[in-house]
Amino acid sequence: MKALFQRYGVIAFLLLALGTAARAQYHNDLQFNINYNVNIPSGSFRDLIDKPAYKGFTAGLAYPITSQLRVGLSLGYNDYYQKYPRQVYSEGTGADVSAVVSNSVQQIPLLATVDYTLLKKGFIRPYVGAGAGVNFVSLDQYLGEFDNPRSSTHFAVRGEAGILIPLSSYSATAIRIGGSYNYAPYNKDGISSLDNWGIHAGISIPIR
Amino acid sequence: MIIQLTVWSLSGMVLLGSCKKDPLNNLTNDESRIYITNYDTTANFSSYSTFSIADSVAVIQDNQFAGRQKNGFDSLAIDAVTQLMQQRGYQKVGTKDSPQLAIDVSRIYNTSTGVFSYGDYWDYYGGYWDPYYWGYPGYGYYDPFAVGVYSIQSGALEVDLLDLKNAASNGNKLKAIWTGMARGEQVFNTANVSNEVTSLFEQSAYLKK
Repeated sequence: MKALFQRYGVIAFLLLALGTAARAQYHNDLQFNINYNVNIPSGSFRDLIDKPAYKGFTAGLAYPITSQLRVGLSLGYNDYYQKYPRQVYSEGTGADVSAVVSNSVQQIPLLATVDYTLLKKGFIRPYVGAGAGVNFVSLDQYLGEFDNPRSSTHFAVRGEAGILIPLSSYSATAIRIGGSYNYAPYNKDGISSLDNWGIHAGISIPIR
Repeated sequence: MIIQLTVWSLSGMVLLGSCKKDPLNNLTNDESRIYITNYDTTANFSSYSTFSIADSVAVIQDNQFAGRQKNGFDSLAIDAVTQLMQQRGYQKVGTKDSPQLAIDVSRIYNTSTGVFSYGDYWDYYGGYWDPYYWGYPGYGYYDPFAVGVYSIQSGALEVDLLDLKNAASNGNKLKAIWTGMARGEQVFNTANVSNEVTSLFEQSAYLKK
């Protein structure tokens, strides 16, 4: 059943993307952005997981204030996971636990965003952006098969830069490539932050 | 436009839910098991010389005593604990030979997914293991350990080491000075029992004559 939902979700997603892109004719429309992300933990997040998250995406809407400035909303998702070999963990009071520890972290940042395109024209148009909002965090630490789940909500800020590559001179649809730094304070369970670096590639589609 | 965005959002949510990697799918049965030991930091393990071990195991189902048994797994568990205690320098004696340490082995089953702690288990300990068995009628049991709260979804092998030598000075209580617990997938598989008991002892280097 899960695979069925996943398949239809992907199909619906692709059909809508193609349909929307085909109708795009105006450069100053509301823009829909969707990106594939790879995120790399930094700071104290690396105490928990130091492997990159290859399962991630960001989707957002951006409303044009001027031809170069847009404001909008962005929803992201990143799935981090790392399994550590069996080790004995001492709790300091005579208690020792031998376990294979698996850490699983999902971050879902919902941010208000602002983007500024540095060039109005050109084959490559650099842009910078920022966002601030809430970060929904799910953190599961498994000792063997035994889970210790935690969910919480935190503040988050994102700064990003990249380039837009329009598909043609007459199309507002553009390839979007860039990098970001995601400031994600956590301050729980001995972990001060879930900060991470991200790189993304996606598409920006105008919506009438 | 609203309908379109709603479909966009729903599609995205379906994708979101299917993106999480399930850590349990990436664990072998061996990796699923955990080994928990606790010891009394005031105990001097080298001060004990002899031990006796119960010749059967207590079966505890949802904190209820379900009887004593000795199947193939139980025999292997008792033998493994005996062998490792002897390797650590302790001498096995009978219950009538005034052992200084007593060892109980238990199989614990809990079919619920609630919270389980050593405290819950020890609340009924006298019902599983009558102190009379060790030659101490009228005594109680005492578990000083406060850690060990985990959700439980499967069985557990429990090994408890009790101080008989100082029972009177401990307020007429048979005090646990070491406990070991193995939990996880196939914990009661006879092929795993040696590795489970060995793991409990390996992480307890202080447990020696």
